[in-house]
Amino acid sequence: MKPLIPFVLVAASATAVAGTPVQILDAYANAVGAAYQVSAQRGAEFYARKFGVSAKMDSCATCHTGKPTQAGEHVITGKPIKPLAPAANADRFSDPAKVEKWFKRNCTEVVGRECSAGEKADFIAFVSGGL
Amino acid sequence: MTATERNILVWDLPVRLGHWLMAGGFALAWLTGDSEEWRLVHVAAGGTVVGVALFRLLWGLVGTRYARFADFVRGPHAAIAYLKSLLGPRPAHCVGHNPAGAWAIVLLLALGLLTGAAGWLTYQEIGGELFEELHEGLASTMLAVVVVHLVGVAVGSLVHRENLPRTMITGRKIGATRDAIIGARPLAAMVLLGWVGALAWLLSR
Ligand code: HEC
Ligand code: HEM
Repeated sequence: MKPLIPFVLVAASATAVAGTPVQILDAYANAVGAAYQVSAQRGAEFYARKFGVSAKMDSCATCHTGKPTQAGEHVITGKPIKPLAPAANADRFSDPAKVEKWFKRNCTEVVGRECSAGEKADFIAFVSGGL
Repeated sequence: MTATERNILVWDLPVRLGHWLMAGGFALAWLTGDSEEWRLVHVAAGGTVVGVALFRLLWGLVGTRYARFADFVRGPHAAIAYLKSLLGPRPAHCVGHNPAGAWAIVLLLALGLLTGAAGWLTYQEIGGELFEELHEGLASTMLAVVVVHLVGVAVGSLVHRENLPRTMITGRKIGATRDAIIGARPLAAMVLLGWVGALAWLLSR
């Protein structure tokens, strides 16, 4: 089928953009400003905070569990979710487009708005174990 | 309207029910695709689209006259000739599907199946990022065909002064008695409903 070809190419090029947790974190921190002090502490607080926006998806920890190094479980579908911590799952925070897509989706539903670049940088610092 | 023209049945119940189930399923799947909270609804809605498409493939072989692929699937020349005739003084009219609309139908069935297959593989965590992107790309392509389909229906309705959306509800058009189909096939419609319900439930369980 002809219409498929462009999409396969787009998909291939999207996965080709690699990154490391540090690079992705830096990009978010730099988007706030050179003076931004990244804080894993704030990230931890954000990770566990109950936002009270969605009854079922109250916090990031609802699906990703209290500890990012643990495997999580999707509260809606019951499907397993691999650990968010790069230490436990090397694929995490290696693809900026994927990271951004999930921040957008999960923040919108859990927090009720998109997360700020600072919140994202703090979040990555926490799940990566400090950085 | 000549003496022999009256309100005749052309679309059987499985065609009509399948049509609206697919339309509703696609719309719901489109609206819920980006949400984790609605993920199960999304899977059930997408499953509905797939279920209807699979049933329709079979119904295209054994259904009533105008439901059969052999009745309406035509090459590109027939579609172009039909579209050209719409610009002229004597637009070609078909009792069943016109040759241009037929292309949209075939494309929508194929895209419905492919989109659903890619979505299911993603849901089973097979194929990773590639199938995720494929799923999204196929869904967007399908939306584009839906838009073309809707424009086609609007143009066809205006040119032939025939309310095509209503036809897809009542199953009736103005035509010669000999062109009517014999029955609405309610039993097959029940089978369709049961099958689609079972599939949607199984997928989203
Ligand atoms: C409904 C369950 C759910 C909730 C609640 C949730 N997530 Fe997720 N999250 C997922 C799923 C599913 C994935 C993708 C899983 C995979 O790739 O294995 C994911 C992936 C991610 C990723 C992608 C990481 C990577 O590089 O692969 C980030 C970042 C993320 N989530 C952040 C968050 C944040 C921030 C919150 C809270 C605001 C949150 N999540 C709440 C289900 C959830
Ligand atoms: C044919 C009808 C369907 C349509 C139109 C459709 C459409 C979409 C759209 C637009 C998205 C959003 C993608 C994004 O923004 O990232 C999506 C995501 C998704 N769909 Fe479907 N879908 C359909 C069928 C299915 C089926 C049958 C399943 C599973 C059995 C499924 C599972 C998923 C999953 C798991 C996601 C999230 C994937 C991701 O991480 O992006 N879909 N779908």
